[in-house]
Amino acid sequence: MEGDCHYLEGNLNARRRVEYVSKLLEEIGLEGQRVRMINMSSAMGAQFAQAATDMTATIKEIGPNPLREM
Amino acid sequence: MTTSTNGYKVGSNLERMIRSGEFVVTGELGPPQGHHAEEIREKAALLKGYVDAVNITDNQTAIVRMSSIAAGAIVVQEGLEPIIQMTCRDRNRLAIQSDLLGAAALGCQNLLCLSGDHQSFGNHPGAKNVHDIDSMQLVQMVKNLRDENIFECGDVIKEGGPRFLVGAAVNPFGDPFEWRPYRLAKKVAAGADFVQTQLIYDIPRFKEFMKRVVDMGLHEKVAILAGVGPLKSVGMAKYMRDKVPGMIVEDRYIDGMTDAITGIEPLPPLTKRRKALKAQLQELGEDDPARAEIEAELAELAPRIKEIQAERNKNWREKGIQMCIEQIQELREVEGVAGVHIMAIEWEAAVKPITEGAGLLPRPNVGSNGSG
Amino acid sequence: MIVAEQKPLNEIKTMIADAERVLLVGCGTCVTVCFAGGTKEVDLLATSLRMSTKLDGNGKVVDEFTVQRQCEWEYNEPLKEKLDDYDLVVSLGCGVGVQTLNEQFPQKQFVPGLNTAFMGLPTEQGVWEERCAACGNCILDKTGGICPIARCAKQLLNGPCGGSQNGVCEIESDVPCAWQLIWERANDLGQIDRLMELQPAKDWRTSRDGGPRKIVREDLRLVAHEEE
Repeated sequence: MEGDCHYLEGNLNARRRVEYVSKLLEEIGLEGQRVRMINMSSAMGAQFAQAATDMTATIKEIGPNPLREM
Repeated sequence: MTTSTNGYKVGSNLERMIRSGEFVVTGELGPPQGHHAEEIREKAALLKGYVDAVNITDNQTAIVRMSSIAAGAIVVQEGLEPIIQMTCRDRNRLAIQSDLLGAAALGCQNLLCLSGDHQSFGNHPGAKNVHDIDSMQLVQMVKNLRDENIFECGDVIKEGGPRFLVGAAVNPFGDPFEWRPYRLAKKVAAGADFVQTQLIYDIPRFKEFMKRVVDMGLHEKVAILAGVGPLKSVGMAKYMRDKVPGMIVEDRYIDGMTDAITGIEPLPPLTKRRKALKAQLQELGEDDPARAEIEAELAELAPRIKEIQAERNKNWREKGIQMCIEQIQELREVEGVAGVHIMAIEWEAAVKPITEGAGLLPRPNVGSNGSG
Repeated sequence: MIVAEQKPLNEIKTMIADAERVLLVGCGTCVTVCFAGGTKEVDLLATSLRMSTKLDGNGKVVDEFTVQRQCEWEYNEPLKEKLDDYDLVVSLGCGVGVQTLNEQFPQKQFVPGLNTAFMGLPTEQGVWEERCAACGNCILDKTGGICPIARCAKQLLNGPCGGSQNGVCEIESDVPCAWQLIWERANDLGQIDRLMELQPAKDWRTSRDGGPRKIVREDLRLVAHEEE
């Protein structure tokens, strides 16, 4: 869980970096929602499935990466 | 040009008052953000006869205003003695000295040397600041112009240098607190003849500062004028306490201003109601029938708000003046205090009742300036 | 070291708008250490520019190259043969690097990808602070090793202004008052007396005010120069 990492504060550092990448994507002209960080433990199968479904839905809504089609 | 001043360094009224041992009173006049001389004449009329000399601020709080020297020259015409403020923020040593030659030619005889508020506080935050010399070095430079007849570079001024009574600012409330008396000592060593302090709203702390100053014997070398100012509202008192760097305001001033308006109908519920009504009006269409009722309530609110505001302001101003008088009376008893500097910011009319209430009128006549 | 940060992507895009083929040149010295213009940042910026210009419908060729030190002619030599392939070069060096490249290869234009900020140090990972203003006449012996010219907003030389409170400068609550730091340090060193001396007006000729500065060391020059 957030702040409760086996590698101590590693996941907090990772969060800031993911936020940076998301902002960079926006600057480039892509959608920042294409990258997302979710904290989960190995015992959270249902939540994992839900998060994957949500992410898939988000990406479907945004559409495919326009750079791939070019 | 004569340098004979009958034993005085300059012979200004301020210097004569300081030498006479009388309790000195200085005031403050902020030049306008415009070019009309009339505003200065009006303010000068409110101060004349109630102060011994008046500070003319130099782009105070880093907001562009009429030149302190030009405004000072107008004040001279009005028969009031200016103390020209000069900051190190806007001019290098060339500009400062050239302006001082001009100020002397225009009849200005007192100068207050300041670092200047940082430009980030003013209306040109993108400006480049100069700070070629600091306020301490400015004090020394002005003293050398007068006593050594030399420019900062060491060149001799053949006709003799411009003569100013040299003033400096002191903030007894800034940090590091232990350093403040030593910093004053440094300004005295650099050549300050008088100093004016930051607004004092913490007399115990000021007394602690003055005790150290007296122990060091500084009060015998420099005239220390304690800074006071009448508060106008609770908001102003809180602003000074919370927002002005290097300022300490004791609770008793906040409480005093709060108490001054007890018994008056509270204003915030009415102004909130007015705001809400105005917001409602904005949402309604031009010919919505519901408008009439709201407009009627607004029309009824307006005079009530105005009346309460006027009553609050009246009480606040009376209380502000009364507390200022008490401050002066208390400061007058502090060893080493040679006088007061009254900063009635944009409220020059307060100086008369304050000086009157504090028993400082009429101002003593210490003889005219014979050297002019 | 010299500390810099990358310009906004849009500003760089505007600079390269008229070019088809662009080369990004990083620098392996100061700006690598402050994560602004090293190999990694060049890579990231090149990728961003390729993606972004493609999205805009005018995809550009953006290539990458990093030299060890842009501010010395020798290190830039390997660039020479590459330049013909590009319309424009974006330097991710400091202002010195950009100018060195323009001077060295006048046939090509080099534009800045960074804003050079100051000379300072990282006080923690991801935080850099200014320490030196290169005034050309060091007084750190008199101020306990803390520079009031670089660190006081008013460059005061004789102690704090009235705006110092609780150790903080009046301009911003996260800026320490340089003179509070100097005072504490002088206390620790037992050198308070040094602060009591009146510092005279500074001679700013050695600073930027004296015009662009230059140092000539005859002992190091080569004979060839004398005959010029």
